[in-house]
Amino acid sequence: MANSQIRTNTNRVLLNGSVEYALTSNITAKVNLGYDQSEGVNNSVLSADIRNINGIQDIGFGTYNTLERENQLLEATLNYQKEFDNSKLDFLAGFSYQKFATRGRNATGRGFGTTDLNGMVADLQSSVNGAQSTINGDFQQFYYDPNSTDLFVRRLLPESREGITENLAPAFGKSVTSVTADTFNNADELQSFFGRINYSIASKYLFTATIRADGSSRFGTDNQYGYFPSGAFAWQLGEEDFIGDNVSTLKLRLSAGVTGNQDGLGYGLAVSRQRFGGLGIDDGGNVNAGGLTQVSTEIPSLQWEPTLNLNVGLDFGFNNERLSGSIDVYRNTTTDILLRTPPAAPASDPFQFGNIDATILNQGIEFAIGYDWIQQEDVNFSTSFNIAYNQNEVQDFGGLIDTGAINGQGLTGAFAQRFAAGQSLFSYYMAEFTGLDSAGQPTFADQNGDGVGNVFQDKTFVGEDALPDVTTGLSLNLNVKNWDLAAYFTGQFGFSVYNNTANGLFTSGSITNGRNVTRDLLTSGDAPGASADVSTRYLEKGDFVRFQNATLGYNWPLKGEGLFKSLRLSLTGQNLFLITDYSGLDPEVTVATGDLGSGVPTRGIDWSAFPNPRTITFGINASF
Amino acid sequence: MKKFNLKLYFSSFLLLAGLASCTDLELEETDSFIDPGFQGLVDPASAVDGLYNDLRGQFENQGNRYSFMEVTADSHIVPTRGTDWGDNGLWSSLHQHLWQPDHAFVIGVFDEWNRNQLRASQILDSRSNPSSGNIGDASFVRALSMWTILDFYGQVPFRDTSLPSSALPEVLSGQAALDFILNDVDTAISNLPSVGAQAGEANSRASIAAAKFLKAKILLNKHVTLGGAPDSGDMAQVISLVDDIAGDGYALQAGYFDLFRDTPDDETIWSLPSGVGNVIFNGLHYNSLSQGGGGWNGFATLAEYYDMFEGDPNSNRMEVDFTPLDGQEERRGGVPNMGDGVLEDSQVGNGFLIGQQYAADGTPLTDRAGAPLTFKRDFLDGDGNPNIINNDETTGIRVIKYNPRYGAFNGHKIIFRYADAHLMKAEAMMRSGGDPTAMVNELRVLRNASPLGTVSEQDMLDERGRELFAEGWRRQDLLRFGQYTRDWIFKAAGSVNNDKYKLFPIPAAQLLANPNLVQNPGY
Repeated sequence: MANSQIRTNTNRVLLNGSVEYALTSNITAKVNLGYDQSEGVNNSVLSADIRNINGIQDIGFGTYNTLERENQLLEATLNYQKEFDNSKLDFLAGFSYQKFATRGRNATGRGFGTTDLNGMVADLQSSVNGAQSTINGDFQQFYYDPNSTDLFVRRLLPESREGITENLAPAFGKSVTSVTADTFNNADELQSFFGRINYSIASKYLFTATIRADGSSRFGTDNQYGYFPSGAFAWQLGEEDFIGDNVSTLKLRLSAGVTGNQDGLGYGLAVSRQRFGGLGIDDGGNVNAGGLTQVSTEIPSLQWEPTLNLNVGLDFGFNNERLSGSIDVYRNTTTDILLRTPPAAPASDPFQFGNIDATILNQGIEFAIGYDWIQQEDVNFSTSFNIAYNQNEVQDFGGLIDTGAINGQGLTGAFAQRFAAGQSLFSYYMAEFTGLDSAGQPTFADQNGDGVGNVFQDKTFVGEDALPDVTTGLSLNLNVKNWDLAAYFTGQFGFSVYNNTANGLFTSGSITNGRNVTRDLLTSGDAPGASADVSTRYLEKGDFVRFQNATLGYNWPLKGEGLFKSLRLSLTGQNLFLITDYSGLDPEVTVATGDLGSGVPTRGIDWSAFPNPRTITFGINASF
Repeated sequence: MKKFNLKLYFSSFLLLAGLASCTDLELEETDSFIDPGFQGLVDPASAVDGLYNDLRGQFENQGNRYSFMEVTADSHIVPTRGTDWGDNGLWSSLHQHLWQPDHAFVIGVFDEWNRNQLRASQILDSRSNPSSGNIGDASFVRALSMWTILDFYGQVPFRDTSLPSSALPEVLSGQAALDFILNDVDTAISNLPSVGAQAGEANSRASIAAAKFLKAKILLNKHVTLGGAPDSGDMAQVISLVDDIAGDGYALQAGYFDLFRDTPDDETIWSLPSGVGNVIFNGLHYNSLSQGGGGWNGFATLAEYYDMFEGDPNSNRMEVDFTPLDGQEERRGGVPNMGDGVLEDSQVGNGFLIGQQYAADGTPLTDRAGAPLTFKRDFLDGDGNPNIINNDETTGIRVIKYNPRYGAFNGHKIIFRYADAHLMKAEAMMRSGGDPTAMVNELRVLRNASPLGTVSEQDMLDERGRELFAEGWRRQDLLRFGQYTRDWIFKAAGSVNNDKYKLFPIPAAQLLANPNLVQNPGY
């Protein structure tokens, strides 16, 4: 801690404005403008006093990065509304445009004359800014190292379309031995045209249809636009004469629609681009400067990832909503999955975005119900409860993708999850631990039939995944005179957590290395040299119930013309208790341990996760 | 009237805003050149620099190509020591011949050596206007890269840069692949400069001698690539290619371990400024402190490999002036004997490290558990049984070719060496009915090893093992002498004499991405 420092400063400007104007009594036009700009500077240094890390020990290492983001939004809509005798029409057409720009410079330095962390930051900043101030005109990169007294500047010349390296005599102080800096300047655009029609008859039959054309500069030239229709129908059954008066709400909903997703896709990945490749400073302080390289290849076919959502729902309420609730059944099918996958070799990059031929199905049922148990002048008590069941499955996929990297010494390349047809997302794939043998060495189930249980050769889908099958919540609300009490419980069931913390740190090998472990390892029977590779030994059920939130409040009764208009005292507790069999700190965890480059997201891996904090808050709210 | 004006103003504003912001969604060239597909490189010379920089990284890596060549052979083994080096079976599955299509190196090698091919093809594309020198360098790297893929996988996808990136690469194998590669080598020979020995930085680029070395390697291994027996015409070519290399001034040089320093020598035909830290630290123990910190305690060699050398099987000591103390030949190196002073700030020995190891101040080292740090011949687990997993920190003889006292960045990692060419010529003579004894003994005498009476096939393979250990060729040598699938310690029973493992599998994701690829038999 004493030898490293990371500091980030960010400034941000936000502007929003909208103008609305009624062109006629039926037609309204609206324009919405938004602007969001932020600038950040990040300094991080590791001092030469750090031991046993090549390239840092005795020389020091630092980065100095700047980042500017600028987002612009323009949205214009035209709305037409017309009421007829027994029906109502509402038509909306619109256009929206968004631009997301990022600009910045990433600089790295090696070879510091000081081990004072603030001094290192100052030295790196003065070397980088000093070097940059001697450069005229546009450039992509600059660097210097001990092999030459010159400053090397690398420019992309738009007219001749060549990349050149210039040598400048340095007219600045080199307080850091080797420095590299690389700039970037990217802008992505999103443009949409959309229309919506709402038509209702007698306030009982409600029809909605929408269509969107969404265009994004991130996709391939052939498929920048995606077209996403939807339609919905709702029937206010409660308004019908044949439904009794004790039914206060009864509404049937049907909907079908397609939405598009471009999450995860970055700038310029679907066009052919060339620029100078990244600069590196090796442990000896020499800058490795590659030439102009192809940083991306064109993927004209890259397109939006569509999801077809089908939903049937029923909202109900009885006796003036004393009992109310809803039931929803849904089936969402995502196809043409956007994923970084290996393109056919030879390729410039080991992974390229593509729309892989697979389907991810999510289907389930959600149920919510609430009841007001006591409705009196001084006392109110109500509860509401919800429960949802979700089934997830990957279908129609011909490949196998490993993901869910496991971290720790001797666990390079280790993983716990696999993306494959017929399995849920985040399915665990690993050897089945069958206990320790008499000598304290771990044993595993034989899967491949060779008679030997090998932790690496006998991996299998172990029938567990990290997605909860059932999620549920219960809230209680009680008011007695000036007092109020609210409590919320939440629970998740039917999922497993991989305890990477135990696998990576709490092993008998860690004892040998002189590291701290948990006490149970003393009696576990592990031999001193016992290996600890990924297996079901560290896979645990994650089911839990959490007392998420409780608030006790008191509204101070005030009389007459006092200082306060109102005064409320409250005591709030978050995460008050957790009931679980999971041996780690908290099963509701997801640490981004890595995806082995596959782009398949991971979930449910606990790698030294910071547990959810328990907080108690005392509050006073007063108005004057 | 006023209302009308407002309305007009507002409508115009809306229209203008709409028109001004309506975009074609085309990216602007703000920090890179954007082309509709590959249109030629703007700067082929700088792409050549990039290509050599990629090779630098590929040759300094202890994984991927190096592990395929050495850890899958009898020369290296990486046992699991407690929780260290399990790494998802990365290392044990290589040594045991149990790798699968999802092995990280199976994927990594296929990716990076094919990528070299594409980068080279982009340079060679006529729209890039490469110079003759660029053509020489790119043809050399493309030949080396495609041959590496062909050697490991038995087939090589070729991407034509004149076709759109969506076109599937065609797949070459057998004679067609070799013809393509040899054509590139010949193009390289006719475009590369002639560079002699001790030419400094010029030896870190391809030269006519480097291209001829590559061609000799390809021809010597041709009967493995295509099946069948060695062709005497090919062997004659190998001999004349090696003679040409000697004609350029390359020669054998005495002083074995001095070759692997940053000093100039007559043997280096092609070197790269790759770091040598991986091959230093991957075998040294954590407590074997020297320049740049301790080692990573992973890689070791088999006792049977060590036993190919002359000398005491259980001890390999030397004086600080490198004088052998245990009857070992020069190439087996030795562990500095303590009490005789300190050897240039480091007491890490050369060659094969066995027995007690010492700190720079001469004190005997201990492992992290406090036991004496004595490297042992055998790989035993906690129960005393031979095992590739559950080892302690001291099992296995360690191998040091580039000594840490000269730094992990000596800028001189040898890729092609004349002694290899010398032995290739001797082998070609043997395979075409000649007697290689004099040539083999010429090398042995220079290395202070006793001359052999006659040289058998086994002697030839062993001599290559002794001269070229840890230089990244062992798998090929074993294949050429029909020994790659033979039994050695910890090789899985089902993998012994199993021809499946002569080739690596095509990565599963590649079979999906390119239906022209066919999975190798048995996978």
